[in-house]
Amino acid sequence: MAGQQLALTVLMGLVLVGVAALLTRIEDWRQYTPLAGGSAVAVGEDTGYGHREKPSGVIRWLTTVDHKDIGILYGVFALLALAIGGLMVMVMRFELITPASDVVSAQFYNALLTSHGITMLFLFGTPIIAAFGNYFVPLLIGADDMAFPRINAIAFWLLPPGALLIWGGFLVPGIAPAQTSWTMYTPLSVEQAHVGADLMLLGLHLTGVSATMGAINFIVTIFTERGEDVNWANLDIFSWTMLTQSGLILFAFPLLGSAIVMLLLDRNLGTLFYAVGEGGGPILWQHLFWFFGHPEVYILVLPPMGLISYIIPRFSGRKLFGFKFVVYSTLAIGVLSFGVWAHHMFATGIDPRLRASFMAVSLAIAIPSAVKTFNWITTMWNGRIRLAAPMLFSIGFISNFIIGGVTGVFLAAIPIDLILTDTYYVVGHFHYIVMGAIAFAVFAGIYYWFPIFTGKMYQRTLAKWHFWLSMIGTNVTFFAMLLLGYMEMPRRYASYDMVTVGPLEAQTLLHQAATVGAVILLVGQVIFVWNVVSSWLDAPKVTDTDPWDLKQSGLFTREFGWHADRLTAADGGEQQTVTDGGEKHEATDSPQPGDTEA
Amino acid sequence: MSEQAKVTGDFRRASPWPVFIALGFALAELGIFVGYFAVAVGGLLLLGGSVAGILVESGYASSVWRPLAGLGIAFGLLGVALVASQVDPATLDALSVVTDPNGIVGRGLAIVGSGAILVAVGVTGFLLE
Repeated sequence: MAGQQLALTVLMGLVLVGVAALLTRIEDWRQYTPLAGGSAVAVGEDTGYGHREKPSGVIRWLTTVDHKDIGILYGVFALLALAIGGLMVMVMRFELITPASDVVSAQFYNALLTSHGITMLFLFGTPIIAAFGNYFVPLLIGADDMAFPRINAIAFWLLPPGALLIWGGFLVPGIAPAQTSWTMYTPLSVEQAHVGADLMLLGLHLTGVSATMGAINFIVTIFTERGEDVNWANLDIFSWTMLTQSGLILFAFPLLGSAIVMLLLDRNLGTLFYAVGEGGGPILWQHLFWFFGHPEVYILVLPPMGLISYIIPRFSGRKLFGFKFVVYSTLAIGVLSFGVWAHHMFATGIDPRLRASFMAVSLAIAIPSAVKTFNWITTMWNGRIRLAAPMLFSIGFISNFIIGGVTGVFLAAIPIDLILTDTYYVVGHFHYIVMGAIAFAVFAGIYYWFPIFTGKMYQRTLAKWHFWLSMIGTNVTFFAMLLLGYMEMPRRYASYDMVTVGPLEAQTLLHQAATVGAVILLVGQVIFVWNVVSSWLDAPKVTDTDPWDLKQSGLFTREFGWHADRLTAADGGEQQTVTDGGEKHEATDSPQPGDTEA
Repeated sequence: MSEQAKVTGDFRRASPWPVFIALGFALAELGIFVGYFAVAVGGLLLLGGSVAGILVESGYASSVWRPLAGLGIAFGLLGVALVASQVDPATLDALSVVTDPNGIVGRGLAIVGSGAILVAVGVTGFLLE
């Protein structure tokens, strides 16, 4: 033990010395002079790295505070997490082909189940939205950067250590990974002695701190850094959803952080916050967790809805139908999302009068969601529809969102929930939203802005393969789960050979169908990765300043204005002409005020 | 809205500190909660040093020494409070909890230790400059 402590101390000392040595190579921190990047520039009024003077190589990515670079970092991180979470679930799906537990042990299945949920929600979902937000919110609102560029970088860099801790149980030999499921229900999560669970909770706490820092940054940026011609009336719909989402994060994530710290204290220091018969008891965890957890659903879905509202008009040749009402419905969902948490607890024995009120609010959320859906459909109605990959994914979003949403309305009704809770119906319902809707919107966004991220164009045929395989895979997998739920197949089980009642053959068949769907999804995502990587590396540079022909329908927007400026600047050499007196040269194709209103 | 409008901003586009602040925060949290004394101290030192560094870089402080000492005092107080919470109010025998630290006192001492180191570095640097 003493030897272990000594080794740790020496290791920490070496880390600190290494950090100090690295820092002295990058900066003279006592005089405050940047050294990396070639030339040392004395600190003065106009010091600092300009956009083109960032350090080169890996150091550039480790030290950047540029919102676009951080957006790319978030995006790469999130897509890696998507791949890891996806591969985890493939193992689970193969396990479920047969009723018996023959591929992995039940314990390992439980660990994968836990990690898949946490990875997809906290390491893919939230970061990929931050990726779009960081890259595009400043461009869309005419800001130079985020309001707090350094805090932005800190928020991103909290994620990799958070991810390593969340996966720690798998990575560190000799300790068992957490098997609590992503909901971490007490008393199971207090009593489970795995160190992996502590590491996961710490990692989750770090990602929560990261999300909160990012949210504060978005709120301040959208409030204070808007360009002169951007007001609340013509703020674009994506920034509106980012603002609402950031507000939700600000109220939800600190609560999760506190609840997790209490759980860690219960686990390690003998407090009794969630102990049976003491204080709040195990049900306190469910209240705190779902007070965070349900807004989290909207934290994950509002910005993707914003992406859809932003992209659909551009491939329909029309402005977004009922723009104001789409904004109002976003705000309404944001407010209502804090009043529905106990619908996750209908079966826990809480007061029936409380249950009824939560049922009412949960059903009410269907109204603003339907407002959005009808507005998207009406935007496309009689429009000049172009079925490019971003539009295909957007239409796929609407289709899957309707199925995911309508199944959710049923679950919100107490009598139905009492039968379907803890069955595959719930799993099918929320995967229609998280995979069928959120991930689809993410793909739509990546394809739509691919020319901006990379300066290249993706391969269209591969993108269509990606869409159709994803659409078919999603519906095969998750519709099978809805049917399994109607047969009352319990969720979270590693094996189902102990099930002795019900149509067992049909259940096995549906599980096999879900696995086939998952394989189709996997093939689609492999095509996606290949498409992104090969297009980024090998495709010819985009020279068109308006790759989506947005000007034709009067829907040209600021971020493509920036893209056009970038191309023009590259054409004319390093510097764009600046007129005498320092007046900014207005590019001829800069967006006009009012263009951004959809 | 042009690229040039963005590139002429008088702020830096690179900073070495955020990555170390995040690393320091993660190590400190890991060390304190799981109970690795050395990791807790090292993480807090990295966090304190990086926060001082970023404050100087962004112009909120003119030298690193004062912020270092200030953070050291804050950590010290926090650690002392944690240790004090375990002292028996009847006997006020602080020595016995420190000589035979339980889980909470050990963690408190780690925070006090890192605070003391930060104060020592800050004061020394301030006096030598």
